[in-house]
Amino acid sequence: MTAVVRAARGGLVGRRLQAVIIGLVVLAATATSTVALGLLADAHGPFDRAFAEQHGADVTAVVSTSSASPAQLAATTRLPGVTAAAGPFAEVTVTALETVPGVAGSSQVPLRIAGRSSPGGPVDALTLDHGHWPDRAGQIVMDRGTGVFAGATLTVGSQRLTVVGVADSVTGTADGWVLPSQLAALAGRPGPGSAQMLYRFGGAGRPGPIASDVAVLRAALPRGSLLNAVSYLAVRQSEESNIAPWVPFIIAFGVIALVISVLIVVNVVGGAVLAGTTRIGVLKSIGFTPAQVVASYVLLAAIPALAGCVVGAACGNLLAIPVLRVNASVYQVGRLGVPFWIDVAVPLTALALTMAGAAAPALRAGRLSAVQAIATGRAPRPAHGYRAHRALARLRSAPRAVTLGLAAPFGRPARALVTAAAVLFGAAAVTFGAGLAISVGRVAADSPETTLPVRVVVNPGPGGPAPMTAAQQRAVVSALAARRGTRRYVAEADGQVSLPGPAGSASVTAYGGEPAWTGYTLVSGRWYSTSPGAAEADVNTLFLTDTGTSVGSAYTLVSGGRRVTVRIVGEVFRPGKDVQMFVTPATLAAVDPGAAPQQYDVALRPGTSPQAYANALSAALGPSYQVLVGHGSRQYAAVLALVAMLTTLITVVAALGVLNTVALQIRERARDIGVFKAIGMTPWQTLVMIACSVALAGLIAGIVAVPAGVYLHEGVVPVMAHAADSGYPPSLISVYAPWEFIVLGLAGLVIAVAGALGPAGWAARTRTAFALRAE
Amino acid sequence: MDASVHALVRLEGVTKRYDNGAAPAVADISLAVQAGEAVAIMGPSGSGKSTLLNLVAAMDRPTSGAVRVGDERVDMLSETAAARFRRRQVGMIFQFFNLLDDLTVIDNVLLPAQLAGARTAGARRRADELLAALRITHRRDAYPGRLSGGERQRVAIARALINKPAVLLADEPTGAVDTATGEEIGALLRELNAAGQTLILVTHNPDLAARYTRRVVAIADGRVSSDSRLAPRTGASDGASR
Repeated sequence: MTAVVRAARGGLVGRRLQAVIIGLVVLAATATSTVALGLLADAHGPFDRAFAEQHGADVTAVVSTSSASPAQLAATTRLPGVTAAAGPFAEVTVTALETVPGVAGSSQVPLRIAGRSSPGGPVDALTLDHGHWPDRAGQIVMDRGTGVFAGATLTVGSQRLTVVGVADSVTGTADGWVLPSQLAALAGRPGPGSAQMLYRFGGAGRPGPIASDVAVLRAALPRGSLLNAVSYLAVRQSEESNIAPWVPFIIAFGVIALVISVLIVVNVVGGAVLAGTTRIGVLKSIGFTPAQVVASYVLLAAIPALAGCVVGAACGNLLAIPVLRVNASVYQVGRLGVPFWIDVAVPLTALALTMAGAAAPALRAGRLSAVQAIATGRAPRPAHGYRAHRALARLRSAPRAVTLGLAAPFGRPARALVTAAAVLFGAAAVTFGAGLAISVGRVAADSPETTLPVRVVVNPGPGGPAPMTAAQQRAVVSALAARRGTRRYVAEADGQVSLPGPAGSASVTAYGGEPAWTGYTLVSGRWYSTSPGAAEADVNTLFLTDTGTSVGSAYTLVSGGRRVTVRIVGEVFRPGKDVQMFVTPATLAAVDPGAAPQQYDVALRPGTSPQAYANALSAALGPSYQVLVGHGSRQYAAVLALVAMLTTLITVVAALGVLNTVALQIRERARDIGVFKAIGMTPWQTLVMIACSVALAGLIAGIVAVPAGVYLHEGVVPVMAHAADSGYPPSLISVYAPWEFIVLGLAGLVIAVAGALGPAGWAARTRTAFALRAE
Repeated sequence: MDASVHALVRLEGVTKRYDNGAAPAVADISLAVQAGEAVAIMGPSGSGKSTLLNLVAAMDRPTSGAVRVGDERVDMLSETAAARFRRRQVGMIFQFFNLLDDLTVIDNVLLPAQLAGARTAGARRRADELLAALRITHRRDAYPGRLSGGERQRVAIARALINKPAVLLADEPTGAVDTATGEEIGALLRELNAAGQTLILVTHNPDLAARYTRRVVAIADGRVSSDSRLAPRTGASDGASR
C-alpha cells in the first residue's frame, strides 16, 4: 500500500498543474452542489427548522385583560394539550413617526408593540440579529420584517423610542418589543388593555387539532375575552408558497453543474492517463501488479480531488450562508445554515465521481502489459487533424496563427468534443440564467409595489384598516392632485365573497381608475371593462382552479345574501395562496354596498423620490393618514442574487474544463510551440493560436446552447409558476430579444477563450529556448 | 579600424547562467562573425554551443554582455520584437529537424513567411524555388512522418531560408542523419554559404567543421578556447557537393 501511495505522490509531483486543475474543478463542483443542495434543503423546510429552533408559538392568542384575570390566563397554561406557554405580554397597536438619522422628514409606521422583559422563553424565543435587548425606558427592539433599523427614532405620541436592536419572531408575534414598564406609557392610558398569550400544543401540525385546541382555550376563558387567535399554520402556508417556486430552477442549475463536473473529470482524468501511460508502464516493469497500478492512478486523481472536496464544501458553505441569510430575512424565519448531511454527502459524492472517472482509464491502462504501456506512451501522437490543418492552411484570408489554432482540436477530437459539451452546458446555464433573471425581473417590475410605490391609507382603528369616508377620499384626491410628482393613482377597495371551494372565500379588489395601472400582468384575456353596467371580473389562477371556472365563464358572487353574476374576462398573474378577484367599484358595491376605497396607490413621475414624495404628502395630509412607501420585494432581489451566483459558478466550472484542455494541449505540444516561436511566432500570435484552438468549439457550443437554454427556461418557468399555484403570462416566457440571442450565442466563445487565456498567456510569455527544452 | 565593428554578428563579453550557484553555460564570450562568413562552433556536449546559438537567435537572454546582429541589440529585445527579429534576420536549423508533423512539407516551409504576414503568392513562389533548389519538390505535399532524415533536414533548411535571413544558424544539422545524408546536408550548407549566406554551424564533429566552414571557434566549459581560420577549400574536398 505504501508503494501505491508513494507512486501516486510521485506522479502528483510531476503533474502539479493537472493536480491543481482536478482540485479546482472538484472544488468548484463541490461548492456549486453544496450551495444548490443547501438551498434546496433550505427550500424544503426553513420555516419548520426555524420554528423548532425558536420554539415558535403554535397559537398566538390576543386576550382582553379587562375580561380575563391573570389567574385565568395562568390557568390556560395548564390546559390539556398545552406543552408550553408564555405570556401574558401586554401589547398595543400604535402609529409611530419614524425618523432615520441623516434623512430629512419622517414617515408613519403602524406598529404592534409587545412588552417583554427578555427575548428568550419557552415559546417564541426571539433571535436577536444585532444590537441589544431594551434595558431601560425609551428603547425598543424592532422586528426584522419591519425594515426599521437600529439607530432610528420612533415617536409615539409624546414618547420617543430609540431602536437599540433588531430581532426576529418566526411567527411575527409583534413588530417591536419594549420593556413591560414602557408599554403603559405607549398605550396612553392606564389599566388593562390587551395581551398576548403564546402556546405550544402537543397535537399541533394539522389545522384540525389546532382548531380544537383554540376551542378549548376559548372555552376556558371568559366569553369574549379571546380577541384573536392566529395559528402558525397560516404563516407557514404563506411561507411555503414563497419557497416552492425556487426549487425547480435550483434543481436545474444543480443538474447542469453535475453534468459539467462529470464531463470535466472525465477529460481531466483521460488526459492524465494519456500523459501518464509511460509511467504506468515503468511502474509495471518494476513490479507493480495491475491492481496496484490502477490504485495508484486512481489515487493520483483522488488526492487533489479530496483537497478540492474539502475546500469546496467550505467555500460552498461560505457562499451559501449569505444567500441563506437573505432568504432567512425574506422568510423571516431566523438565521439558517447548510445542513450537516449535505456537508458530508456532497464532498463524498464528488470524490466518488472523480474516482469512478479515474478508474475507467486506469483499468484500461492496468490491463496493458508493461511493454505495451511504455510503447503506447512513447509513440508519436496519433495522426488526427492533418486534413484540417491542410484545409485551413489554404484559408488565405485568415491569419496563420488563427488557422493553426482552429485546426488544433481536430488532433484530439474526443477531448475537443467533451470540452465542447462542458462549454455547451455552461453556455446553456448562461442563457437559462439570463432568461430567468429577466422573468423574475419582470415579475418584480410588474407588481403594484413597483409601479405604484406610494400608498395612502387612513390610520387604522381598533378593527384594522377602515374604508375612507367621502370627505377623506376628497382630501386624498385633492392632496394627490396638488403634488407635482403624482403621475396617476388608483383607489382600492377590498371585500370578501364566499367560495364553494377549499379556500372558502375570495378577496375582491375594486380599482377606481384603470386596473392596468396596477402593473399586474394578465396570463390570458383582458382587464374588465370600466364602462357602466359591464359586470366583468378578472381573477387569479387559484380562483379558476378552486372554482373550476375559466376565462369566459360566468360566476355568481355571493356576500351577505346578495348575489351578482359577473363574467370572467381575464386571468391575472397573482401567484400565491390567496384566491383573488378584481372588479369595478360598481360591481363590488353591488355585492357589498358598504365597500369604499381603503387606500390610494400612487404612481410617480420619473425622477421623483418616493420617500421625499411620501414625507411631503404625509405632511400635507396630516396625522389622520398614513403615507407608506413600498420598497419592492427583497425576495426577488434574493432570487436574482441566487441566479447570478449559480450562473457564475457554473461558467467558472466550464471555463476550468477549457483550462484543463488547453493545459493538456500545451503540455503535449510544448515542442511545437517552441518551434513556432523559434521561427518567428510572436507572443500575441501564440496567444491567438491557443485561444483559437478552443474558440471554434466554444462558438459552436455557444450557438447550440442558446436553444438549449431557451428550452430549459421554457420548461422551468411554467413549473415554477405551477409551484406557486399560478399560470404564467407569455411575457415571462418570451423574454429574449433578438440581439440578446446574438450576445448569448457568444457566451460559449467567451467561456472558452476565458478558460484558455491563463495557459495561453503562460505559453506566450515562455521564452523560446525554455519552450524548446520543454520537449 | 577594428573589423568586428562591421561584423554581422557580435557577442561582447556574453555570459549566460541558468542557475545562480552553478557554473555559467557561456562565460564572457566575445565573438564577431562577418557577413558571408561560415563559422563552426565546436565543442563537446554541454560546452555551451547550443546556448550560444540560442543567444544569437534571441531565443534566450544573456545574464550579462551584449549580442548584436546587424544594428540590433538582440539581448535587449522584448519577446515580440525578438520574434520579429528572428523572422527577418535568422533562419534556424535543428538537429532533430523540428518540423511540424501535422503540416505538409509546403506548409512547413511557408509557415515563417505566413507568420511574418508575407504576400501569399510571393511566399509560395519563393517556397517552390527553395524546394526545387533543395531537390524535394516531389515531396511538396507529403507529411514529415513520411520523409527520410535527409529529406526532413532539407525541408528544415528550406523553412529556415524562406524569409531570406541574414544569418543561418544550424545546430548539429547532421547529428540525426546517417553519414551519407550528413555529407549531403553539409554540401548544401556550403553551397548556400558560397552564394553569400552567412552561416553559423554548431557541431561536435571536427571533420564536418573543417570541410564545410572556413573558421572554427572551439568552446570548452563555456569559454572560447581557440578561434582558427582554415585555408580555403580545394576542389578535392568538395567531392560531396553536387
